[in-house]
Parts: sequence; structure tokens; C-alpha cells
Amino acid sequence: MSATDQTCDVLIIGSGATGSISALVLAQAGLDVVCLEQGGWIERKEFAHLHQDWSWQRQTNWNPDVNVRRHPDDYPVDSDSSQVLMWNGVGGSTNVYGAIWPRYRPSDFRKGDEHGLQPNWPITYEDIAPYYDRVDRMLGTSGLAGDPAQPTRAACPTGPLPFTQPAQKLAKAFDKLGWHWWPAEAGVVSEDYDGRPGCNGCGMCNGCPRGSMTLYAQSIWPKALAAGAKLQTHARVLRIETGSDGRATGAVWKNRITGAEERTKAKIVIVAANGVGTPRLLLASDNLANSSDMVGRNLLHHTLVAAQIWVNEQVDGQIGYVASLISREFAETDVSRGFVNGFNFNCLTSAPSAGELTSGWLSGTKAPWGEGHHDWFDKHFGHSIGLFGIGDDLPNPENRVYLDVNRTDEDGIPIAQMHYAPGENDRRMMNYMLDRLQEIGEAAGAFKIALQDYRDADGVYRTPAWHMIGTCRMGSDPETSVVNGWHQCWDVPNMFIMDGSVLPTGGVVNPTPTISALALRAAEHIRDNFVDLTTTTRSQAV
Amino acid sequence: MTDTKQTMTNATLPAALAAFVDQLLPGKGDWPSGATLGIQHPLMERLVTQSGETALEGLSQSLEKIGAPFNGLDADARAAAVRRLETEEPDRFQWLQTAAYQAYYENPTVVALIDARGTPYKLRPHVQGYNLPKFDLETQTPKHGRGHWTRTADVKPVDTSGLNLETETTKWGLQR
Repeated sequence: MSATDQTCDVLIIGSGATGSISALVLAQAGLDVVCLEQGGWIERKEFAHLHQDWSWQRQTNWNPDVNVRRHPDDYPVDSDSSQVLMWNGVGGSTNVYGAIWPRYRPSDFRKGDEHGLQPNWPITYEDIAPYYDRVDRMLGTSGLAGDPAQPTRAACPTGPLPFTQPAQKLAKAFDKLGWHWWPAEAGVVSEDYDGRPGCNGCGMCNGCPRGSMTLYAQSIWPKALAAGAKLQTHARVLRIETGSDGRATGAVWKNRITGAEERTKAKIVIVAANGVGTPRLLLASDNLANSSDMVGRNLLHHTLVAAQIWVNEQVDGQIGYVASLISREFAETDVSRGFVNGFNFNCLTSAPSAGELTSGWLSGTKAPWGEGHHDWFDKHFGHSIGLFGIGDDLPNPENRVYLDVNRTDEDGIPIAQMHYAPGENDRRMMNYMLDRLQEIGEAAGAFKIALQDYRDADGVYRTPAWHMIGTCRMGSDPETSVVNGWHQCWDVPNMFIMDGSVLPTGGVVNPTPTISALALRAAEHIRDNFVDLTTTTRSQAV
Repeated sequence: MTDTKQTMTNATLPAALAAFVDQLLPGKGDWPSGATLGIQHPLMERLVTQSGETALEGLSQSLEKIGAPFNGLDADARAAAVRRLETEEPDRFQWLQTAAYQAYYENPTVVALIDARGTPYKLRPHVQGYNLPKFDLETQTPKHGRGHWTRTADVKPVDTSGLNLETETTKWGLQR
């Protein structure tokens, strides 16, 4: 054991969006910060974007699904339902995400008051609103302030991205329907910002080696390292350890280069390993922080359905940033629809690749083989537009991440199992969303509309699960939540969970902006209360 | 296929695969056929990368079973042979179809043809990107005034008594 037994002020497990923000804040405060990351750095030239076979690579070795690409940096996750999308490496899943950047809305934090089928958050929208703005300034978020469907926000540091032809086409369709729409906010700089070049509209928006998209490995980590944070790559944490006082003492990890087991001791431990990795690690650490039995439970993915439409006009959806506009027309609850909660439409451009488009991008509609292939291509390429309906799914404790009792990975850690099935409210919402997607396609004058419900031939909902949240949710009651409003574990007062697993509700949006804002807020709390937190043996409600 | 015939070797597999991809992607007008561009070769390489060398043997057997490279067969018979693979080995067919389309459309000749037809398209778009006009704040800022949100203090209980969420919607998604 332990080639080196290092001790630090703060140990961070996971180097993704929230781990990197935490490292930056705490290192800038002069604290001794060590971050353990099971994967490695990605050199820019390694990204698929710079290779002629980029489209094929996006489907294979750069596939966001861990069970497709089977990269050695990944750990096994078995799911009987969801497609498990993530990236393990410096910067985490931001290496392959799309950086759509909408915010939660105030009611997302008050679902307990609204209908009681979800809990209230222990904090409000107003608590994190300033941190949204500050994260945006850190990252150069692009977009347009003034959306009447959202609370007032500061101007985006970089202006809105080009309003692509698919966006213009869809805007007219939404106008025809009398529905809200707004240019999409993006974690992409629309002009040169903080040493990063403005977006060049390449359309390959799964990661971005040139750095126009906010990859935390490129935008946050260099600053955290300059501030003194230490980043140990290829360090797979095996378990978190605690002392007799119930406080975390550090973690034991495997050096994946040398094979040695090492131990890092710390005064504060931050877990930032995402909505699957975090509960897996806690459960594998002798059921740590789980007196509530909520660790791993209430997995949320969002209700997700999609549509692909083809229009007669040439709209060139293969170019430009992937998100075209957002519609918040249905974001709030209206029980007359037959369900609680709301949803948004995340409108896209189209596949950047002719190979992807012909192979069934988004809707599974493939170009025919044989004599009709080229005629199909002439009619469809440059005419496709994609849309997602993304809604707030209700928590279910049986939707969860748990450990396989029979199988372990190569390091002896039980394999993570994942189960997710939409409930009654979710199914009704998806039906409603599909009907509305059909209406959008018709309003756009589409000559073809193909809907996608992500159900397989057996009827199993296999959503592409980018959003894996809720599995260590925050709350006001230690009996029903894992952390308090400062992300502090009820059971382990010097351990904080930073990633998306703390979100009690999913909202109707992509979660990374909210997760990042929450991480900034919590990291500053740790910074400002570091001395007290190094001795406290009790977590308190916020 | 009789037992007396040997499974085609790796040396003959390219010809069989070429004939197969030409059924998927025949030439038409300016569009070259798949085999003309040699996409059977990256298909074989990618199959090995994904599934190992032994996967070529399985592919050979599948193609042999449908009579590839289709010598002596007319157009209808060739198409019928491909449809047979599509029906009898859907997973293999789907892989071949996807891999063929991907290889075809990443070929520099095809990329140039797509771009030349007036749909901007580059071999490696990320390197130089595409020219897009900047967002015009004057003309493209929405002026519809639509949209609403609920303030924290204004979140009020809704009546869920009529929802009957204990019932089950069995027809949902595309089955709705």
C-alpha cells in the first residue's frame, strides 16, 4: 500500500466541470488542492475533429456511450435501459458534450410547493442566479439577454452565435404557432474570448479541440494548475476512507500507470465523479454517506423525445453551432395537459456529416441503399433539421445506480448497474411533446417528419442519457437527502458532492450551466469556511 | 452453399465486398459507385479494428452465402441477394450499411461533389470552419414578446387531483 501517503487540504475526486471549478476556487485561495482523475489529458490532435474519418470516429472510439467505445479510461456501467453517455478524462464529459447552455427557472426549485411530487430544493433560483452570471463570465458564454420567458440575466459575455438557416426556419414555424422561441445560449464563444478563438461554425459540436466550445480541460484547468492545484491523472479511486469521528480522511486510489495503490489524506474531500461515478464510489466505500438510503436513487435523465424534419428549402443544417434556438413555451406546469411539470424544445441544426445523416441521424431514418440512394441524398442533405423535447421527469427511487453484487471491475470495485424507466407522468409528457413536435414540423412545412421516442423493439426506453442527475440529491432533511444546500454530506461533514448527482429536480434544460453555478457557489463556501470545516463533526441544514 | 466450396479467402473478400457495396451505393450521374472509390477497404479495416481479425471470416461467410461477388447474376438477382442478407442477418447488414455510407461520404471525391452541388461541405470542417453571417441584433433579435415564467414567491400549489397518475398509459411514444 501507498507508495506515497500525501496529505492535502482538499482532495477532489473527478476533474470534470465541477471538479475543475472547485480546484480553481480553492487553489486560488492558497489551499493545497489535489485532484484525482482516472483518465488522462486529451491532446488536441487526438480529437476526431482533425481527422478525415471524423464522422466514423464519432460513432466509434469517440462515441459518448461508454459501452460502445470501451475506452480503457472508462469503468463498466451496465444498464438495462439507458445509453450511458459520459467521458472519463481531464475535463470529464465536457470533452464530448454539446454545451447547450440554458438556465433553470425559479419554479424548478419549488416543485414541492407546486405539486409535491418532487421535493423543494433547500435553495432558490435567487441563491444561484449570481453564480450563473459569474460562470458565464468565466467561460465566455454566448447568447442574447432579454428572453421574456426567463428571469433577467446579465448580458452574455459574447453575443449570440450566427442565427442559422434552420433557426430562421423554425422561428417562423414557432411564430405561426404563436409559441415562444429564443436564440440558444451556448457554452461556446461567439468571438475571441480569454485566449480562445470564436466559433468557426464547423458544426462538429461534440467537444471542440480549437477551444471555441468550453471544454473545462482547456478553459478552467490551466488556470487551476497555474494557481497551484495538483492534478493526478490515471488515478482511479478505489474507496473513500473515514475516521472514527465519521469524517472523511482521504481516499485510496490505484495509479493506473504503475499499478500501485496509493492513499491521499485530506482535510476536506470533494466528490465530483458524475451522477453514476459518485454514487458508485460511495456505495463501494462501505455505503458511505447513505443513512438516508438515497445514494444512487432517484436517477433523473429528463424525458426526452425528438423529431427530424426535412423541408424543401435548403437550410444547410450541416454547418453552424448545433443548437439553433430554444422554445420555453411549455416550460411551466399546466395540469390541463394531463401531467405536471413542463418541457422545452431544444432545436438543433442537423448532422454535420453526410455519413451520419444517411445512416439515420437522430430519428433513425436512413437513406435507402441501391438505385434510390443518390436521389434521396439530393432531396434530403441540406434540408434536415432536428428538434429535442426535453422535460422534467419525476423522481422514482427505483430508478437508480447500484452495485452489482456478483461482478467487479479489474480493480475489484463492483460494477455499476443502472436502471431507468419513465413513470406515468413522464410517459404522458412524452406523448404530449411528440404531438407538439409533429405540429412544429407541420408549421415548418416539412415534407417529412420522423419522430423518435427512444424505445427499442421491445418497448424499452433507451434514452441517450447525457444527463445523469439526482442520485445524491440535496435537501433539507437528512432522512430524505444526501447533502445539504451547500453540497455537504449529512453523514460526513467534511465531504462535499459537487456534481449533478445533487440536483433534486432536473428542470427542463441541459444541466451543465446549473451544475457549474452550484459548484462555484459551494466551492466558495468551502473556501470561506475552510477552518471550521476542518474540524466540524456535524452538517447543518441550509 | 455446398460443403465442397471453401470459404472465400481474405484475398477474394475485397472483390466480394466491392460487389456488395456497389449494390448499396451504385454509381449514378456524377456520383461514383462505392467500389469505384474503394470503400470496401476501409470497411474491412474497420471491421478488424472493432471485432478482430476473425471477424473477416464471418463477413466472408455471409457474403458467400448470398453469392457475392454476384458473377453471372442480373441486377434484380443481385438486389435480391442483398435483401436476403438484410433480412437474414440484420445486425451485420446494418453495420455494413452504416460503415459503407460513412466511408463513402468521407471520401475526398464525394466531399468535393457535395460542396460543388451548393451545400457547403468540407473534408475536415473543424480546421477552417464555414462562413456564417454574424447574428444581426437589429433584425434577428426576437420581437414577439412571448414567454412567461413564475417567480419563486408566485409558485402556488396546483390541483393534481384530476390527473389520476396511478393509472397507466400503455400506449406511449410512437405507439400512442
